[in-house]
Amino acid sequence: MLVLIVLLLSAVVIAAPVKTPHVEAELVSEVRTFTASEPFWVAVRLRMKPQWHTYWINPGDSGLATKVEWDLPEGFRIGELLWPVPEKIVSGPLVTFGYFGEVFLLAKIVPPDELIVGNYKFSAKVNWLVCREECIPESAELALVLKGTREFALPDPKWKRPLGEAKLRLPASLPNWSVTASVIDDELLLNFSTPSKVGNLEGLIFYCEQSGIIDYAAEQKVSLSQSGFQLRLKRSQYAASLPEEIRGVLYNPAGWGQAVVALSVRGKLIQQAYAATSSPTGFRPIQQITSVWLAVLLAFLGGLILNLMPCVLPVLSIKVLGFVRRAEDGKAWKHGLVFTLGVLVSFWLLAGLLLLLRSGGEQLGWGFQLQSPSFLICLSMFLFLLGLSLFGVFEIGLSLGRFQNTGYSGYTSSFLSGALATVVATPCTGPFMGSALGYALLQPALTTLVVFTALALGMATPYLLLCSFPSLLKYVPKSGPWMESFKKLMGFLMMGTVVWLVWVLGLQAGMNAVAMQLAAFVVASLGVWIYGRWASILNESRVRLAASALAGLLVFSSLLGVLFFVRRDDVDARSEIQWQEYSPALVAQLLAARQPVFIDFTAAWCLSCQVNERVTFTSQEVIDELRKRNVTMVKADWTLRDDTITRALAEFGRSGVPLYVLYSGIPGDSPKILPEVITPSILIEELKKLK
Amino acid sequence: MKAISTFLALVLVCAACYPTAGASGVAVGKPAPAFSLKDADGKTHSLADFKGKYVVLEWVNYECPFVKKHYDTANMQKLQKEFTAKGVVWLSINSSAPGKQGHFPPERINALMKEKGAAPTAYLIDSDGTVGKLYGAKTTPHMYIIDPQGNLIYMGAIDDKPSTEKADVETARNYVRAALEEALSGKPVSVVTTQPYGCSVKY
Repeated sequence: MLVLIVLLLSAVVIAAPVKTPHVEAELVSEVRTFTASEPFWVAVRLRMKPQWHTYWINPGDSGLATKVEWDLPEGFRIGELLWPVPEKIVSGPLVTFGYFGEVFLLAKIVPPDELIVGNYKFSAKVNWLVCREECIPESAELALVLKGTREFALPDPKWKRPLGEAKLRLPASLPNWSVTASVIDDELLLNFSTPSKVGNLEGLIFYCEQSGIIDYAAEQKVSLSQSGFQLRLKRSQYAASLPEEIRGVLYNPAGWGQAVVALSVRGKLIQQAYAATSSPTGFRPIQQITSVWLAVLLAFLGGLILNLMPCVLPVLSIKVLGFVRRAEDGKAWKHGLVFTLGVLVSFWLLAGLLLLLRSGGEQLGWGFQLQSPSFLICLSMFLFLLGLSLFGVFEIGLSLGRFQNTGYSGYTSSFLSGALATVVATPCTGPFMGSALGYALLQPALTTLVVFTALALGMATPYLLLCSFPSLLKYVPKSGPWMESFKKLMGFLMMGTVVWLVWVLGLQAGMNAVAMQLAAFVVASLGVWIYGRWASILNESRVRLAASALAGLLVFSSLLGVLFFVRRDDVDARSEIQWQEYSPALVAQLLAARQPVFIDFTAAWCLSCQVNERVTFTSQEVIDELRKRNVTMVKADWTLRDDTITRALAEFGRSGVPLYVLYSGIPGDSPKILPEVITPSILIEELKKLK
Repeated sequence: MKAISTFLALVLVCAACYPTAGASGVAVGKPAPAFSLKDADGKTHSLADFKGKYVVLEWVNYECPFVKKHYDTANMQKLQKEFTAKGVVWLSINSSAPGKQGHFPPERINALMKEKGAAPTAYLIDSDGTVGKLYGAKTTPHMYIIDPQGNLIYMGAIDDKPSTEKADVETARNYVRAALEEALSGKPVSVVTTQPYGCSVKY
């Protein structure tokens, strides 16, 4: 009975959009259930009648900001209210800032560490002024009941996506930018030092969060400066005195890259008025690349190094064997060229696809395809079968492992090995490549293609060299029975890669998906065994046809089976270090509390990340040093697509992982970017530099 | 001759300031621009008529919730009565364009003022927004104080609580009262400009 009453009560409160004459207001959450100390987002949702608007944190020349007073259960904390970028509303000589249609005012709730399972009621008293021509003050008492559980946070399918989209409308922070403000006569100058050249600045709008600082109706003049750009704002007539810090939001209709539309601006006011000629004070990370030639060079080197990565080596070493073979009939150089073409074309395709998706507004970076479980399933199946082929279970006409064929299919094979090498190489983003690709992806499409071309050429160069100077081939052993053994040996390396991919799949899609994938391997290997046993030329054609059909059926049905099955079932890895899940708000909060923070941008499919984590973050010395210095460890896990993390990477000029960032926690200190290959000694040395 | 040059100056200033009200030449310490407007009875009042007296300009729109806050609590009427009794001239100016919120026909104005117990020296009709734009009035209420020499000594909000909550009137610091009290007792005004708040002026 009591249960029933509680259920009824909570049901009443949960379904609670409050309707006022001009606004529908509601308190919504991204989760239905939450767990101890795992923060979650809530939002005050206001839906205005057509043509009516409510106001931003600074309403402008008239109006009034929406006010939210929270009432939370004991022990819960809530972050500051975050306002999406407003619209500039011009009516005659007056300018105001507000929202039409629907707006989500976001805040993050931090539950207490000790949570008693049960229902919790979150309330907010919201006051707003809603205007069209005339203005009406309205208010509502909103409430939301969520269940605190021990098990897991259950997302609310209705609000998870709208809140995610609303978060994208929040201004992003700009750690590598420095902003200063100064006053000359009746103008307020904002000087932005940017780490790299900014793109299109047309239609730029600075929304000042503080009222009475600038004249909203006056033109905002933008000019490029040596270190970035300058914004000249007219001071408000009502600005009696200026605060020490000018706060606001810088909106760029063209975007700031990576789907960021607005940046959060905090500009210290410099009292002396001659800042126009001052030198840039902005921090420039060493790895930040600003020249296209440097990016091309690094991409080339990165491409060379890719050849040694464990995911590429088996495919390519077999190719080398192919060259050995060709050397005998003098066609090596042709195959070298076709191979290079294969690498080039597939890099272009990948880059083109990436650019295309990004221009469509997707938050993607290099290695994006490995964030898709379906891609992992197909790739691991492909490599598994390739491994079986290397073991000699079967051979197919176009098999990359087949060296006996000549002519047409030989060239196809060379081309395909180039393509395959590219596809399997992406997870092994080598040192250098992080910055080169990060740079490339922010450039115009042509530059991007040039950098990717350099990468592809770097990767193909060793083979091109071997081919162009056949004399070099004399250093490669002559073909013979050892090749068969080498092939089998490479088969094991291939299976190693398969194990790793299946592990990544497990992280993304859970244990059940792994089991399904393994079962699919068994069925598919039965298929290729049947093919190898009965589809050889020795059998009559009827048998061959039946065997091929059966094999194809088994392979494809097993593959489709897993693809349909895949479901996410997150499993978190445990380690000695207490990792906090990354969010910009968490980092900002820690920095405000003057805490040193280390951020590990990582992904399960990023091999170098995994190596670094195994080697460095399990080292007892490192753990001790971290404890001693009270460094908060934050993990930004990019295994699955995550727009917030993609955006954060972009702010550091990156589009891929690994990336390691250390904040000293001292106000004014710029974050330090550590090398991609991080060792215990490098990390300890950096930690010792902290005060 | 003088009237013509004043008129010319006014036209020039207006032409210059039209698109951006904030760009008007109005500033504390500078002469307040001259103007003439009619009240509901058709009587013309000029700023020049009040030379030698303190003048308060109050931008008003009886239908605006921010203005209502000050009239429904009798806060504005109290100020008007208290300071007109001390010889201060109080001009309520309405710049709402015809058809927009807060614009009333003259006969309705007198009835409304009576109903509210409003006690300004005059309620002036600025339907074309000329004077509002001349002064860069942004909101209702938006307050200006002019000293006996014709210089502006205060411009901005009525008080420091930008809200429509009637309860806030009690606890707010009234900038207009403070400035008038200081000025009348011969002291310099301590807060001379504040960010005005309220509904937009319905130009």
